[in-house]
Amino acid sequence: MTEQNSSRRYMREPARRVYANELREVRLHFRDGTDEKSPTYVMLPTGIRCNRIFACGEMILKEKKGEENTFYSVRVKDPTGMFFVNAGSYQQEAMQQIARIEQGSFVAVVGKPVVRSMDDGSVFVSVRAESVFPVDRDTYRLWVDDTAEQTLNRIDAFRSTPDSEKAAEFYNTNPEIYRQMVVGALRTIEF
Amino acid sequence: MDAYPDVVERISQKITEKGVTPDRGRIASKLNLLVTEFSIPLEEAERTVTNEMMREYKLDSIPRSSGSEELTPVASAKPGAWVTIEGKVVALQASPSPSIAQKGVIADASGAIEFVVWAKANAPVMEEGQWYRLESAVVDEFRGSPNLKVHSGTTITAIEEERGFIPQMTPLADLAPGVVSVRAKVIQLWEVRHERMLQTGLLGDETGTTKFIIWKSDAAEPLEDGTVYTIYFATAEEFNGRTSLNLSGAEWCKEEGADIEVSRREGTTITGAFVHLGTGSGLIKRCKVEGCNRALSRQNFCPVHEIQQDFRYDLRITGVVDDGTTAHNVLLQLPATERVTGMSLQGAVEMAENNPLGLDDVFIRMQELLMGRYISCSGNDIDGTMLVRDGDNIEIIEFDGARHAGLINRAGTPAGGVQE
Repeated sequence: MTEQNSSRRYMREPARRVYANELREVRLHFRDGTDEKSPTYVMLPTGIRCNRIFACGEMILKEKKGEENTFYSVRVKDPTGMFFVNAGSYQQEAMQQIARIEQGSFVAVVGKPVVRSMDDGSVFVSVRAESVFPVDRDTYRLWVDDTAEQTLNRIDAFRSTPDSEKAAEFYNTNPEIYRQMVVGALRTIEF
Repeated sequence: MDAYPDVVERISQKITEKGVTPDRGRIASKLNLLVTEFSIPLEEAERTVTNEMMREYKLDSIPRSSGSEELTPVASAKPGAWVTIEGKVVALQASPSPSIAQKGVIADASGAIEFVVWAKANAPVMEEGQWYRLESAVVDEFRGSPNLKVHSGTTITAIEEERGFIPQMTPLADLAPGVVSVRAKVIQLWEVRHERMLQTGLLGDETGTTKFIIWKSDAAEPLEDGTVYTIYFATAEEFNGRTSLNLSGAEWCKEEGADIEVSRREGTTITGAFVHLGTGSGLIKRCKVEGCNRALSRQNFCPVHEIQQDFRYDLRITGVVDDGTTAHNVLLQLPATERVTGMSLQGAVEMAENNPLGLDDVFIRMQELLMGRYISCSGNDIDGTMLVRDGDNIEIIEFDGARHAGLINRAGTPAGGVQE
């Protein structure tokens, strides 16, 4: 039924669950279609296109940057690494939300992944925030489980979907490494 | 030359077992002819060639008594399969067409399935209440439900011994098109709007609720409101994405004095993160003109009745619950909103009236309570939005240690079991 609706009306892009360590490896980004308004995606190494992510973690650093165009740059730590989250003047709401959050809190971030190539040839993957809200520890633990499950689902479907075929070709992904990453992430949660 | 060496090998094996050495070349060419020239599915071609070769060498065709044709439990008979089943004819219905000799339901302990015997099959007439073995019947799909077809290649053997079995009960939440047995309570009876319909209403069990229909017939008797029934062999049908239960042809017995704690969850359930709170959320004012009830703008403007100084407050949430695969639009009505936020309508009104930010304050508070939280909610889809009515249909998810342990196990096992 969802399929029928998608052709009729605008469908919001789902927020993928991805650990920081996997997002950091993203290099392939593309636009689906030629239209100016066509959505842009990054390809996750475990094989799914991704226009939006939902991530939780500890906000270990909050910085206000820029002179005239100020923006917030925050680092959100998950069990596998760090999300680099930005909110500028075009993300007014996210900026205001970040302003109210104390460094060290657990936060939930909804945002768009951005891949930038630096002058020296290196690549930097960040998240342009749509919203950032403080959450409790339980929500963080739920997110770690949710992300583990969805990452495992992608690993199980690897090389059996068009997107994962593409990812396999581009990244030469070794699914085993990501499975190990999931094991490591799950082990950080006490229960 | 052999296009299907495995199949040829398998067929020759079967014949060799009988003490005859078959001509592999002939098997291969027969197989090839059927598959490439006549586009017959390989499985079927294999069966045909085996039978032909057996006949050629004057051997019994497929040894039936030895049980080489594996028995399929009725519940696992899926469309597209050739099956041999043993079951009890639990219902017979009038034939709807001259090309159909018999129509009914056959069941075993695993489940039940509708069957049709083609007139052309020249099959022996089956009787209700009797056990039969049906060899080489075909499962296909009729109106979304699996359906067993008895054709001229099917062998029907009556089984003399009486075998008892208890039909498998299906929880209402797991209903899928097909023949099912359920234990449920009548929780609502609705007005009948069709002259051929005897009764319609809502059934509920511990897992959910579903609509039921009984069509008029000589034998049909209505159900009693508030009573628990065990219903055998009803037909679950799907229409517009919703499943309902057709009780015509089913049998039921009333359970005197029994009761079921009915889950009030309606429609489908989604679980995911609350990722967006829409601007129409929070404390809103509604037009009080009779039958209107539209949301007023900030300036108390109704799209139809213009400025309304008299209004009533309401609390609602429009938002997005995202499960990582799909972003679901949800609309929470007052009771669901109160339950998930822990705010009451009255509390929200007081908050808005005693605060400089007014209605915005309620909105901000809701954002803080909900954004990023995992929730589970149930409801019916209305034009792309799930309508969540009351508090029984929504909850905030808590961390589940058992699920966590399960994930550690799953992650610790390489895909596809042991790696080579």
